[in-house]
Amino acid sequence: MHTSRSGGCTLTGALSVTTQVLDAASIIHGPRGCAHHNFSLFHATMPDNEQATLPDLVSSALGESDIVFGGEDALARSIQSVCERDVAVVFVLSTCIVATIGDDVEAVCGRNWPVPVIAVPTAGFLGGTFQEGVNNALIALADLQEPSKAGPCVNIIGEKNLEYEVEENYAEVVRLLTLLGLPVGIRFVHNLSPDDIPALGAAQLNILRDPLLVPVGDHLRQRFGTPYIPSFPTGLSDTLAFITSVADACRIDARPALGTERTLQAEVLTDFADITDAQGVFCGPVMDPESSKAAREAADALQIRIGGSPGAYPLPVHPVVGTAGVRRMLHRWRRAIHA
Amino acid sequence: MKQIALYGKGGIGKSTTSANLSAALSGMGLDILQIGCDPKRDSTRMLMHGTFIPTVMDLVRERGNAELSLGDIEFRGYNGVRCVEAGGPEPGVGCAGRGIIATFQLLEKFGALKGDVILYDVLGDVVCGGFAMPMREGYAQEIYLVTSGELMSLYAANNICKAIKRLASRIKSKCRLAGVICNAKGQPKEEELVAEFARRVNSKLIEFIPRDRVVQLAELNRKTVIEYEPASAQAARYRSLATRVMENTSLTIPTPLEIDELETLAYAYI
Repeated sequence: MHTSRSGGCTLTGALSVTTQVLDAASIIHGPRGCAHHNFSLFHATMPDNEQATLPDLVSSALGESDIVFGGEDALARSIQSVCERDVAVVFVLSTCIVATIGDDVEAVCGRNWPVPVIAVPTAGFLGGTFQEGVNNALIALADLQEPSKAGPCVNIIGEKNLEYEVEENYAEVVRLLTLLGLPVGIRFVHNLSPDDIPALGAAQLNILRDPLLVPVGDHLRQRFGTPYIPSFPTGLSDTLAFITSVADACRIDARPALGTERTLQAEVLTDFADITDAQGVFCGPVMDPESSKAAREAADALQIRIGGSPGAYPLPVHPVVGTAGVRRMLHRWRRAIHA
Repeated sequence: MKQIALYGKGGIGKSTTSANLSAALSGMGLDILQIGCDPKRDSTRMLMHGTFIPTVMDLVRERGNAELSLGDIEFRGYNGVRCVEAGGPEPGVGCAGRGIIATFQLLEKFGALKGDVILYDVLGDVVCGGFAMPMREGYAQEIYLVTSGELMSLYAANNICKAIKRLASRIKSKCRLAGVICNAKGQPKEEELVAEFARRVNSKLIEFIPRDRVVQLAELNRKTVIEYEPASAQAARYRSLATRVMENTSLTIPTPLEIDELETLAYAYI
């Protein structure tokens, strides 16, 4: 079967969230290997995002007799030993085999433990995807929080912790919110302290990383009454539209921020005057509609002709967030054209 | 070496039939191994004079594979019949089917699967791959269905025919239907009905075992009928069954019935 970005393992998706909670441990309830290959993945990926710490993953290390007799005792032992360490919260993620034999993970997590123990359903064979794991983990963590009076902050929801430009993309959204005079609340969930999680229920607006998180946005709106913007902005015009949407949601005047941003975008295009009139062809690595649209818009603005004629330069397309994302893309194009 | 398995609806008398068959076979001077493949673990109890022997899965859980030897899991019962209980989890947790697979692997490792006859007594229905294990290559090649004339019992037997048919289609599989054993409830025309069912599924009635109070009396005395009342007509039936099983060479691929055929058949013998 063909693999795609929308597939993936539910467990890995959930771990991309739970490993970003500080002072938390994630117990993977299943055979050792389910923990090991995920540990390897995070070990390899996190340094690229300037996170040097290793993920705190624990396996309940089920063997054959645990499968025959049920794995709940092994899970309870793992939770017990993790609770004896200095952790603020414990996540328990299920695997395919424990869902097959019907371990009651929620019941074990619901016992009287000294710290919150949160069950996240993550058995991949049930048809869920990487994204569903992300969403399940975010929702499980959100359900521990209580609604509180909304303040001025805007929270960031569901950053893609394994993407290369996670920090740059966050910084761009912060810049746009700052243009509107809006303070940024918590990153739910990126490098997040458990002490800060209660702020989840106190935002005036949530901004989702991308529209696949809409089920999470809906859940948060229902639980805390917080409206949401369904995606980070993806290109030049979408960035302006984003400013307008956020301003409308927060009932503030968008015009000063729009003026500033239009000026910035014009400067960016002027900076790349040297690559106007080039002939190029998009070459990935991504081809999703949003990124393609942002790339085509930038090409049109610089009168770069896109088509597969001989001598066309291969122009890379990466996921683009905001005006700064367009600028980074144009740098890549310049390197390709002047190579 | 003959390897046979008894399958049938829960409560139909598989374990009673198995234990008495093993006892009768041992009376023919044969080396018999009976393996209970049911977490209820009571297959061999009458052969062991009422004792629940430790199960393979319990021992594996308590001591681990490496610490076990054949002597820990195999027990000699009535007339030298070797008894093994696979065991399994408490009802409602874990995976009993995997327990059966693990038990078979351990028995193979110990070289325990030997003798003149191995008799597998398997839980009521083939609920998952684990309980089909005795039918798979290298294990039981002759499957006997234990049923009464009751519709639900015939229905379960018919479902097992489906499993045998499916497994028989595999190239290496030697698993075949060897016959139907009627463990009677005492309803009228029961023998004729079960014989006709057997014929319809491309097999034959191997033995009709009538309902007899001596079975209960023997169980209350923690013995097989063969041991408790060897001169009884019921014991003679079990010995007859043993003889027929040993002489049986008619192994078939079953032709399971549709549910309405089965109902029409049962209706015809009211």
